[in-house]
This record gives sequence, C-alpha cells and structure tokens, in this order.
Amino acid sequence: MWVPIALGRDVPRGATRAVLLEGEELVVWRGEAGTVQVWEDRCPHRGMRLSFGFVRGDALNCLYHGWEYGAGASCRRIPAHPDLTVPPTIRAKAFAATETGGLILVDRDGTGGPPPLMLAGLPVASLAIAADPETLFQLVPATPRPDPQLVEATLDGVRFHLGWHVPGPGRIMLHALVLDPGAESRALIALHKLRSEAEARRAA
Amino acid sequence: MLRLHDYVLSAECYAVRLMLALLGLAHERRAVDLYPGAATTPWGDVPVLEDGDDVVTDPGLILTYLARAHDPSGRWLPAESAAVVSRWLAFAATDLTALRDARRVAILAAPGDLDALNRKGYMALRALDDHLATRRLEGADWLAGDGPTVADIAVFPAVMLSHDSGIGLEDFPSLNLWQRRLRQLPGFVGMPGIPDYF
Amino acid sequence: MTAEPAALDQWYVLGAIGDFPQGQSSRRLLGTNLAVTRAGDRFTIESNGPPAAVRTDYGHLWTTLGTPARPVFDLPESRESDRRAVYCGAVTVRASGLRLIENFLDLAHFPYVHTDILGTEARPEVAKYEVEQRRDVDELWATKCEFFQPKAAAASEGGQISRYMYRVVSPFNVMLYKTPPAAPDRWDVIALFVQPVEPDLSIAHPYMLVIDDISTDAELIGFQQMIFLQDKIVLENQRPKLLPLQPGRETPTRADLSSVLYRRWLKEKQLRYGVEERTDLA
Ligand code: FES
Ligand SMILES: [Fe+2]
Repeated sequence: MWVPIALGRDVPRGATRAVLLEGEELVVWRGEAGTVQVWEDRCPHRGMRLSFGFVRGDALNCLYHGWEYGAGASCRRIPAHPDLTVPPTIRAKAFAATETGGLILVDRDGTGGPPPLMLAGLPVASLAIAADPETLFQLVPATPRPDPQLVEATLDGVRFHLGWHVPGPGRIMLHALVLDPGAESRALIALHKLRSEAEARRAA
Repeated sequence: MLRLHDYVLSAECYAVRLMLALLGLAHERRAVDLYPGAATTPWGDVPVLEDGDDVVTDPGLILTYLARAHDPSGRWLPAESAAVVSRWLAFAATDLTALRDARRVAILAAPGDLDALNRKGYMALRALDDHLATRRLEGADWLAGDGPTVADIAVFPAVMLSHDSGIGLEDFPSLNLWQRRLRQLPGFVGMPGIPDYF
Repeated sequence: MTAEPAALDQWYVLGAIGDFPQGQSSRRLLGTNLAVTRAGDRFTIESNGPPAAVRTDYGHLWTTLGTPARPVFDLPESRESDRRAVYCGAVTVRASGLRLIENFLDLAHFPYVHTDILGTEARPEVAKYEVEQRRDVDELWATKCEFFQPKAAAASEGGQISRYMYRVVSPFNVMLYKTPPAAPDRWDVIALFVQPVEPDLSIAHPYMLVIDDISTDAELIGFQQMIFLQDKIVLENQRPKLLPLQPGRETPTRADLSSVLYRRWLKEKQLRYGVEERTDLA
C-alpha cells in the first residue's frame, strides 16, 4: 500500500530525514540527481541508523564507519578497506518510493501496484499530532480522494489536500497541501488550531 | 585576548564556542572540570568569557557581547530584528532549560523526572518548529531577520542535543532543515553529540 | 529479563569509590536494585538475598550477583607509581553494554565519529591486526593495531601513527593500551568498565591510568568525555539495540576481526544479557 510519509519540499537535495511509520524506522533522502529514496533506517554493517548519515553526490554514507550506499541501495565503498571491491550482496533495504502531488510516498509491503499520480498541491507543513486518525478526522469534515491515504478537506475556508501516516499508536502525522496559491499562511494557522483541538479532545 | 572557561559537554559552552568559530575569533580555552569535579570559575558557572579585563557571564549575554564587540558587520545582532532576537534569547534561557535538565538526568543521572522534562522539552521544540514553519511560508530561513543571528546560535545546541535524552527530530521537519542550514555556515564546528558529518 | 548464570557469575563495577557517600545509596545492576552501605571504607551491598560479595579494586566498587570463577581481573599498571589515575565520571547510555564494549574495540569508526582527533577521512584504512583468545586467562586480545591519528591524546601536538592493544577481560570490561605522546616505549591504559543496568541500558565508567605530566585533570577528563560522548550518539542509534549474535544479522569485514572474536566468545560463554533474542529458533 502506498502511504504518504513526508512533503517533498522537506527533503531537499543532499538531506536525510528520519520517519517513523507504524513503529518502523525509515530514512528518506535525496541525492544530487534529485530522486527521492526511502530505505530501512539501518546500516547493514553494524546497524547504525542511516538517517544520521550524510549525502555526498548521489550516495548516502553511514555516520559510523562511512560505508557508502548508491541509489540502488548497494554498498559501493568501505573506507576501512579502500582496495576492496564490495560484494553486491551488501546492500541496505530499499522500499518502493515515489513523489507526486508534493508528497513522498512509500510502498513498504509491495502491494501498492504502480506508483500513483496525484494532483499537485502547494506544501504547507507536516504536523505531528498526538491523536489517532479516527479522533482527528472526527474534527475535519473530509472527502476521501481516489489517491492513497489522502483526503480533501476545508478548514477555516481553506481547501486542503491532507495526506497522513501513523508514526505509532495514538499518533498521526499530517502532510498538508493547499490548492489555492497564497493560502499557505492561513492554512498553517488553521492546522495549528486543529492540532490543539485534537490534542485537547484526547486529553479530555 | 579572549579566554573561555569551558566544559566540553556543556550545551551553553558549546553555543559560545560556536559563536567564536563563526566569527573566526582566536581565543584560549580553560577546561573546567564541571563533571565529575563540580568545579566552577572565580566568576561562577561556565561559560565565562574574559576579554582583557572584562568578564562576561551568562550564555545569552556572552553571545550578544561577542556580536556587539567583535562583529563589525553587525549581522549577528541586526537592529531591525532586535525584538525578535531577544524573544528567542529569552526562550533559550527559559523554555529550553527543560531539555538541558533532561539531558543531565539522562546522561549524568542527575535527580529529576525525565519524562516530565522531556514532555516540556518536546513542547519547546514544537514551538520552534511552528515558528520556523511559519517563517518558511514567508520565505525566511532563520528565527529572526534575513540571516542567522545570535538567536539561532542560542537555541541550536539544545535542539541538536535533544537526542541525548531520547527526543528525535522526526516530528519537526522545519527544525531539521534549519539545523542543516546552520551546520553549513562557514566556520561551523560541532561538539560531542553533534557530528561533523551531516 | 532475569539474568542468566553466565551474566550473574561476573564481577561488575558500581562506580568510583569517591562517588559513594557515607551511609546508604542505591544502584541497579542486571535489572536488580542494590542497597549500598558505606561505613568509612567498608562497603556492604544487599539485594533480595544474602549480602553480595564486595571488592574495592582500581578505585572502583565491584560486586557480583552470582559466584564468579575468578577474582576481579588484574590490572598490573595500577601498581606503577608514576601513572595518574583519572576518573572520568559515569555516563548513562541507552544501549546494550555489549554494544559499548564492541564499539570500544573498533578502529574503523575513528575518522567519522572522532573526526580530526582519533582519525581523519583522508586516512580511513584499518591495517591488518592480530586477535587471539588467551584460554589460560580467558581474555581476548587484539594486538598490532595501528591507526593514523591527528590528535591521539590530550597532550598530543600533531598527527601520529598510534599503536594500540585491546584486552577484553570479561564481557563488560575492556582495556585499551595506547602509546602516550610523552613515553613512546610505554602504554597508557584507558579502561571502560560497563555496569549493565538493563539489557538495553548501561552506565559507562571510563577510567585512565596515564603517563602525562603536562595536562591538567580537567583536560584529561574533558578529552576522554569528549571521545566517549561522540560514541554515545552512535551507540544509542544502532538497531537492534541489543547485540545480535545470529550470523547474517550484520556484516563484519576484516576490520571487525576483534568484534567477530568477541561475539564468538560471548556465544561460547552462553552470555545472553544484552544479546538480541534469536528469532529463527522459536
Ligand atoms: S554501521 Fe554503518 S558503516 Fe558501520
Ligand atoms: Fe569511539
């Protein structure tokens, strides 16, 4: 299943970002070529989280011993052994990923079929909220879209595309885009208000 | 000659070391055995900055002192953003202390309620992320003004060391990008817990 | 998790003697709360059962929850009068103690984790070194380790090829021998005593016996704390948190020879505290 896990804008070239998806740690990163990658957040060598690593050119390097992984997730350099040709079996675990409509999506279990194509929105923010999706969507009158895990909603007069993922129990991370140019700042205020209401409801 | 009374693991001392590095200021360092030795300086807790006969204490005051006295460009303390800068300096000295205390409990087994401190610290990080998210929509990259200021330097260490007490930046995309930008500034230096590679 | 005999029958550090006030204080070891009572220089340690055995060696307090086959390991350098004993302060790390020991044995991370101090990205190569299990004393040794270091110690003036030896004396205690800047014919001793609190929570007690007349205590402590806290970010972000002993879970290379031997030794001892449960043998 395809799941939105971040706004494309929040992972620029050269950056890594750690994402928690249903308790699983993922690293999202983008090399100089511009294609977004989503991998298990774990280096095959000694298990270091790759989200602490650094991007050089089109490769992600692990912070612990500098092992370098190319876009296909295979390790291509082990600095401790500069002359070693790295066996192709050494690779990080990569998931199918795509970027569409301003969102980065991952298909962890490979059941999502061909990557979706979504209507472009203008990114506002990703917002972590301490509430489960049911509680949150009780507060937002939303219309499902044909796109995976995405709804259309109007909040305080602003028209949104809201993608989301669940980092863990009792939590949701919204990825908000707007359809009307110039509405972004108002949209962010509406989102902050929504977050307060959802968390207050949970506390009550 | 500038002389910093310094403890390597202190987030507040690091803010001063970072400012000195970004300003390219030569200085001498005196290691103070804050832990496990509980040592201080004749003027009180580290960080303490001596500049000739002048002595400046308090992390926020040292940063503004360095920006005023040793940065002819004035860009680290721009007059037009003075109010916003002082607001975030105050934030660093109040709201962010929960993260400092959480770190002491987590690393050095200092007394304290780690969960309660982490909850407060998380809310402080959220306030920063909200502010930066708002600023980004206005086309601005930093806490105050058009460029980095002492406000960014004052809050940076606590944000970056929050992992020491178990808080990651997963929930805070704007903070994550802001910290990357700050680390790209010429002259940037890290500290233990803030790696040189990113 | 309750500790198994292999973990119980070991000596563990509880802290530097100076950290214990007169009277009562509490500590935790292998998931068990301990009441430590100090009267002068006499210590008693109690948990649920009868009082636990106590040793005060190398400036630290040691205990066991089982019946170790051997006394606390010998540290002959502690009897050399020209060495400075430096306590570096206890640091809590949210990781398996075994991960701490393994990281301590590792040379390949110097350029990336201790950048421009213990290593530099320009010279990341780990030359071949030797490892052996000394069965008579039940210790692991790694010898003839060499690494280029820009600033090997607090008193270093410039880069040098450092020579290292490692000595693992028990699953949670390790020593590193290193050529000091001041006395190339002798070895500085840097010890890491680990107090496993829970399988995935440890307190590290770094301790040094060094030959250095120049640095102040604050400088020596600062240097060691800097190095150790640089490791902490790695240790707390290794997955799984517990050490996997199952082949294929991780990917060692020749540079990891000491870690391979260490893991084999832990298996041989049937040590499980801080080890990832095997998932394939349900
Ligand atoms: S753990 Fe990633 S390179 Fe060693
Ligand atoms: Fe290290």
